[in-house]
Amino acid sequence: MIALIVRRGIQLVFLLLGISFLVFSSMYIAPGDPATMVGGPTATESDLEAISENLGLNDPFIVQYGRYVKNAAQGDFGYSYQTRQAVSEAIVVRFPNTLKLAIASMIVAVVIGIIAGLISALRHNSWLDVSTTTFALAGISIPNFWLGALLILVFAVNLQWLPVGGLSEPFYTVEGIKQLILPAITLGTGSAAMIARMARSSMLEVIKADYVRTARAKGVKERNVIWVHTLKNAMIPVITVIGLNFGFLLGGTIITEKVFAINGVGRLMIDSIAMRDFPMVQGSVLLVATLFVVVNLIVDIVYTYIDPRISYD
Amino acid sequence: MKKNVWLTLLLLVLLFLTACSSGESASAPPKENSKEDTKEPEKAESTSNETFTYASTSDVVGMSPILTNDSVSANITEHVFEKLFERNDDTKEIEPRLAESFENTDENTWVIKLKEGIKFHDGTPFNAEAVKYTFDKLRDPATAAPRASLLEPVDTITVIDENTVEIKTKYPYGAFLAALSHSNAAIVSPTADKELDLMSNPVGTGPFKFVSWTPGDRVELEANEEYWDGAPALKKVILKVVPEISTAISMLQTGEVQFIDNLPTEQIERLEAMDNINIEKKEGTPVYYLTFNHSKEMNQDPEFREAVAAAIDRDAFVSKLNGLGVRSDSVIGPEVFGYDASADNAGTPYDLEAAKALVQKNGYADKPIKLLTANRANFVLMAEIVQAQLTEAGFKVDIESMEWATFLDTARAGDYDITFLSWSNVTGDGSELLYPNFHSDNIGSSNRGQYNNPEFDELVVQSRTTIDQEERKVILNQANQMMIKDNAAVVMYHGIVTAAMDKAYSGLILAPNGKWSLKDVTGE
Amino acid sequence: MTNAILTTDIRTSGIKKKEKVYITTLKRLLKNKLAIAGIIIILVQITMAIFAPIIATHDPVKQNLIASELPVFSEGHWLGTDNYGRDVWSRIVYGARISLLVGVTAVSLGLIGGITLGLLGGYYKKLDGIIMRVVDLLFSFPGILLAMLIIAVLGTNLVNVAIAISIWSIPTCARIVRGSVLSIKEKEYIMAIKSLGASDFRIMMRHILPNAFAPIIVFGTMRMATAILSTASLSFLGLGAQPPTPEWGAMIAQGQAYMWTSPHLTIVPGIAIMLIVFAFNVVGDGLRDALDPNMDIQ
Repeated sequence: MIALIVRRGIQLVFLLLGISFLVFSSMYIAPGDPATMVGGPTATESDLEAISENLGLNDPFIVQYGRYVKNAAQGDFGYSYQTRQAVSEAIVVRFPNTLKLAIASMIVAVVIGIIAGLISALRHNSWLDVSTTTFALAGISIPNFWLGALLILVFAVNLQWLPVGGLSEPFYTVEGIKQLILPAITLGTGSAAMIARMARSSMLEVIKADYVRTARAKGVKERNVIWVHTLKNAMIPVITVIGLNFGFLLGGTIITEKVFAINGVGRLMIDSIAMRDFPMVQGSVLLVATLFVVVNLIVDIVYTYIDPRISYD
Repeated sequence: MKKNVWLTLLLLVLLFLTACSSGESASAPPKENSKEDTKEPEKAESTSNETFTYASTSDVVGMSPILTNDSVSANITEHVFEKLFERNDDTKEIEPRLAESFENTDENTWVIKLKEGIKFHDGTPFNAEAVKYTFDKLRDPATAAPRASLLEPVDTITVIDENTVEIKTKYPYGAFLAALSHSNAAIVSPTADKELDLMSNPVGTGPFKFVSWTPGDRVELEANEEYWDGAPALKKVILKVVPEISTAISMLQTGEVQFIDNLPTEQIERLEAMDNINIEKKEGTPVYYLTFNHSKEMNQDPEFREAVAAAIDRDAFVSKLNGLGVRSDSVIGPEVFGYDASADNAGTPYDLEAAKALVQKNGYADKPIKLLTANRANFVLMAEIVQAQLTEAGFKVDIESMEWATFLDTARAGDYDITFLSWSNVTGDGSELLYPNFHSDNIGSSNRGQYNNPEFDELVVQSRTTIDQEERKVILNQANQMMIKDNAAVVMYHGIVTAAMDKAYSGLILAPNGKWSLKDVTGE
Repeated sequence: MTNAILTTDIRTSGIKKKEKVYITTLKRLLKNKLAIAGIIIILVQITMAIFAPIIATHDPVKQNLIASELPVFSEGHWLGTDNYGRDVWSRIVYGARISLLVGVTAVSLGLIGGITLGLLGGYYKKLDGIIMRVVDLLFSFPGILLAMLIIAVLGTNLVNVAIAISIWSIPTCARIVRGSVLSIKEKEYIMAIKSLGASDFRIMMRHILPNAFAPIIVFGTMRMATAILSTASLSFLGLGAQPPTPEWGAMIAQGQAYMWTSPHLTIVPGIAIMLIVFAFNVVGDGLRDALDPNMDIQ
């Protein structure tokens, strides 16, 4: 296990280096001048020149990138061009919101997904199965910006059951949970549907497997067959999907955070790309990539617990 | 292993219960709810003066008037800081604010007397030293201030005594008072600037004091109880960042926020149907226009520009703005200094047949026109309608819409044939509109149309260097009429500035430049 | 398992058997009611796309500012008009063309990239390390962010959107192909063919690729759904089609401002997107069940 973590750690360093280079060079090539974005459309040529010099934008690409990597290695991820605030500080403020949203959506996705998957697998080919499958597929097919707007329209504006947006209250209070419900449903629906499909098919597969048949033949109670024998084995592919979906969720936060006015890393990313705030783009992308790698590592470790046959050493 | 299964189940049940219970308490009518629940300050106190929240579609960049140049940041700095002068919205005259009076001892010398006894929020006195410090910092190249150019004509700044400052300019500067009334020329506390970072800790003399800033989420201000012009009624003001305007409007509807500005034309109908808000509208200084890229050969043909202007039905376009636009051919709008009503109809009138004839005569139909636009709602609206109208007249037009940063870059590089631009005039002075946008000095930066007309340049320079305001008005009108006749730009409309506020409040001051003040706002 | 048998069949008994495999697959697929519904929806969209000029009642970009925001079932405009007075039905019909075109382009580009990387990585051990690291790198990027960066560099238009979206199907596709290659590479008959002097390229194309064919088809079908959805999301962020192109996602984004006064402007294109994405998803699911239920594709 430790060997696995160390190996992934080393891979992560190279991965981050690769990503930072990719992001840095694409932002460098992309049209749009950070100085113009700082100075605003009314700044004159001399205003812009002074700003460029001040931000170190006049140095050649290699010098700028080298400076970035050197500072980053020492834990200094630079300062925002726009707000002149430390990047790490800006991210620390926003990250808890993104994490809250991602975890809440994951809970929505896992709960709905597994329940729906189980129901349709246990009632295979019944009307319940067909309608659950149809709903699951419809869930994947809904554009989430559209779903978000519809949910606001119905539950926040018309019924006034839940707040329209924001995520300012602590998550353990009633207010905090209320704020999370709509965004979590918006973001979690797509993943719920994917998990439901996977849970359904792997349950079906396991139910047909020999050892389950043997257990049944031995007279083990049906309830025990499902919970003890089937579910555990069916979980392995489902966990893979959950791990993969975490990346999908992180991508999805970009749009969900925008629609629900949530101050998270996803929104920070698009806003910084739009404002050509390079250090901020770098910092937030690196964080998301790290998160993704760590989640996949956790998934791999969970595997070894669920299925002792799997080993990474 | 069995334990784990039960644990999972327990978790599921718990989750279900919390979901149900929160659903129950939430389904009670919101009004009762807010009375019972004291943990909900935003709702519970929405009809008092304790907290007033407004939604803004983007966050402040920072709160130093010296280092920022965007309207969202200015909304905060205008409440925390004050300028020496301010334009009176009714008379359009510039009046002293922190200044007491001024006199010109000669055309290059401004002696400004300051109000006495005013203190910054940190307790230090506002005086001539502070004015000199602020202006020196603003124009210092090392500061890299975005609007250092405001004080470009300034030569020396001298403290005469505690409350008098003398400013000498390199040449007569007609728009000097206008420049001093710009948000970027607000006076900062020198002590605070030396010790703190004003971007995150603003300290000024204004009616509200800075409390805290959570980047990306909110800015909190509180009333300055010792404000020299009377403490404001609102005890706490919160800027809340809500990136989607639809979401912001929903929040206004449900009472989560009390105020929004810059209402989008597309949603005006929805806002008007809401019964808990008042909509404020005022003719404003922003101007939206189509500009030609004057460096392109095709655009140097006056008949081409005339044909384009004749093909655009501006009346039909303005009717699509749901009452949020004023139709006029004049580049200098009705709310801007230098406007003259004679310019309203000075442009090429809409005449589809004439346009078609010119297109046929000169074979414009064969030349594809690249119409560049920023992908912001009001620009796309202009682009889509104008593209359809130009196509009707026989032109071949392709829209290229791009995000704001790329747009600014592309427009500056001149990689387009026609595009839409806008200019929101903070100082409300015509020179501040014509010089940056159309004077040949600024080709390569803010003169994105690359308009280059020496005769026009001459007039603009005159308008800037003349001190007599009546004379300036005449010169500005001349320059304005000249470029309209030349079809240098086709004015689409002049903006109407808007805001919507909860009915429980009154006293909003909305200025033609879109700025607003909460100083006199009070709840019932 | 089934895969190996299937390939052995193809290899040994030539075209007739191959046809038979396709026919059984099709028969199995047609037993699936949801898949039939999906196929019908896709066929309808293809028809709309091909015969758009005949089916549309109006010019999709022709404005009529006086008759704007008409509701559904208005005279002459059964799906109403948008804020520029353009006929919504005609825009939906022409939009079918665009979403299919972008979807097909994005998926084909992604498949070509993914297959190439997967084949090379699986076949040549030396390349495997580097290629899989590149794949990991692409994997750990949120897809939409990658697309935004690419569009920021290349500029906003539909071709670049297709490119951006295609890149994000490369890693999954590469992994699927690589897996198939690794499972078959060491098989005896491949060794035999190799010793007979067949070139690497021929082995890859004739013997290895067909083995991975089934998962690729299923993956491609499901990716069509993702690609269409992603195009819509990018258009929502203002990074998609250039106006006045009637792209469905752009129609939603534009209509959203009128959601409270003219809800049909978002609901109609929203349903159009949902239906087609749904269709590709169910057909993909059905294909997987018909070809091989154990296939490992997410």
